[in-house]
Amino acid sequence: MRAYFTFVFIAVCSLLPLLVLIVYAVAPGWTFPELVPSELDWRALQYAASQWQPILRHLSVSVLYSLAVVALSLVLCLFPAHHFAYRRFRGKSMLEGVFLAPALVPSMTFSMGAQYLFIRVGLTDTLFGVVLVLTAFSYPYMLRALTAGYQAVGEEYELCARNLGAGFWMRLLRIELPLLMPSVIAGGSVVFLVAFSEYFLVFLIGGGAVDSYTGYLFPYLASSDRSMGSLLCLVFLAVPVLLFLLVEYGVSRMYRERGMY
Amino acid sequence: MFAERASWWVTLFKLSPLLVPFCVLFLGGLVLAVAQSLGFWLPVPVSGGLFDGYGVLLNPHVLASARFSLWVALASAVISVSAGAVLAYAVWRLPHGLERASVVYKVPLILPHIAVAFIVLVFWSQSGVVASFAFHLGLVDGVSDFPSVLYGPEGGGMILAYVFKEIPFVVILAHAVLKRLDPRLVETAHMLGAGRARVFLQVVLPHMRPALNTSFIILFLFSFGAFDIPFLLARSSPGMLPVEVYNLYFRRDLSHRPEAMALLVCMFLFALGFVSLYTRIASRLEQGDRKL
Repeated sequence: MRAYFTFVFIAVCSLLPLLVLIVYAVAPGWTFPELVPSELDWRALQYAASQWQPILRHLSVSVLYSLAVVALSLVLCLFPAHHFAYRRFRGKSMLEGVFLAPALVPSMTFSMGAQYLFIRVGLTDTLFGVVLVLTAFSYPYMLRALTAGYQAVGEEYELCARNLGAGFWMRLLRIELPLLMPSVIAGGSVVFLVAFSEYFLVFLIGGGAVDSYTGYLFPYLASSDRSMGSLLCLVFLAVPVLLFLLVEYGVSRMYRERGMY
Repeated sequence: MFAERASWWVTLFKLSPLLVPFCVLFLGGLVLAVAQSLGFWLPVPVSGGLFDGYGVLLNPHVLASARFSLWVALASAVISVSAGAVLAYAVWRLPHGLERASVVYKVPLILPHIAVAFIVLVFWSQSGVVASFAFHLGLVDGVSDFPSVLYGPEGGGMILAYVFKEIPFVVILAHAVLKRLDPRLVETAHMLGAGRARVFLQVVLPHMRPALNTSFIILFLFSFGAFDIPFLLARSSPGMLPVEVYNLYFRRDLSHRPEAMALLVCMFLFALGFVSLYTRIASRLEQGDRKL
């Protein structure tokens, strides 16, 4: 009985806000002090439907640069994570701490200086600039996940493959990455979420020239039109959930086909 | 397993994919912020002494803003970590099926910060959902009667937003640690006559403490230096430090650039000092467990 109470409490706290957003989306006229809206209205839905092109455009650019950030951070962190997991060297723990710094110190402190650098080399207002700055801010999650992953897997598989004559790419693609997949997914999910929901850095480096869903959403959230804001927030939530389901499905299929689990 | 020792050159080579972007983007950005705060490499030359940018920071407005930032960060981190610890324990104690179903607690984690700020706005504004409930319960008579939670001097709106967003984060970290705790320890403590509170404080909490310390550092520094939520929820004066920086950087002319950068450098140094001080204190309390 107590267990059910705990569960209901957690579920209500997490889902009630979403319920309210859903209600707002179909009842733009819902105002104080009504507990439930007096009438339903599809105005916001219709407006959103008429705006499907800009919504889809901003959404897809956001997904695109977030996935690029995941890919780039994976490429950048693979070697260092391997090294951190399996080797001892001077200054190891200090370097590990230093590499985590971008996730800990306020992102503004380096991004504004970086913006000046980007202006100088012409990277502001470009998709690549946005990807770079988001990667600089979110790679620590990938690094941590991969280091832990390498430690959990152990070096033996790799040594074994090397002894059997597998080359670098063979080992990477056929042995290491499949074994690391859970860590890649864990780190990648966090990196994706951080990149996908970031507003300020995209605004700073993208400067409005790079479409982003957060940038599109912001004016609606700040306006008094709660209905449109709610609807767009729900769309926001749907994207990562959909993506995670897709990844979950794809990975479990891959594992089944290879007979790994 | 004994880790092989790597030579300095191999280390440099293997870490280079990360070292290069780290040095250019992170350190480069930082060095530029320091240089601009001192009056060098500015887009337009600014007359004045080396530390003029820092001198301006001592005015009462900026100090009030710093105090406000510290308060919001501290309050939200303390509340999130305490509530997260209790909830993680509650989730861990659930029967298996419910424990799996309670993944819904991760929903706020997926929502972006600006959406969380919006949810708080919808719930806690003077004409929001909570105010409507209060009206029907007879607690308030009208819109203006409901306390201004969002824009009051306590920064309630931001604290609520951070707490809602950050509790799931604490629960994830603490719950992962609890999974390695033997449930029989808790049963034994109960059988030996320990009450609920005592089991939590003396058996469960020490086990979770490293994870809680890590999350406290992360959450405190995040809410101290983040921009998105304050931008949507804060009142204007005194605002959170990131909003002050934003105003100096974008809303005023370029002659204020050194001040903006000086403020950023101070925030950076504070974050650094906080991490080192906190990890030192925490490791003294726990005899050298790893925190980060």
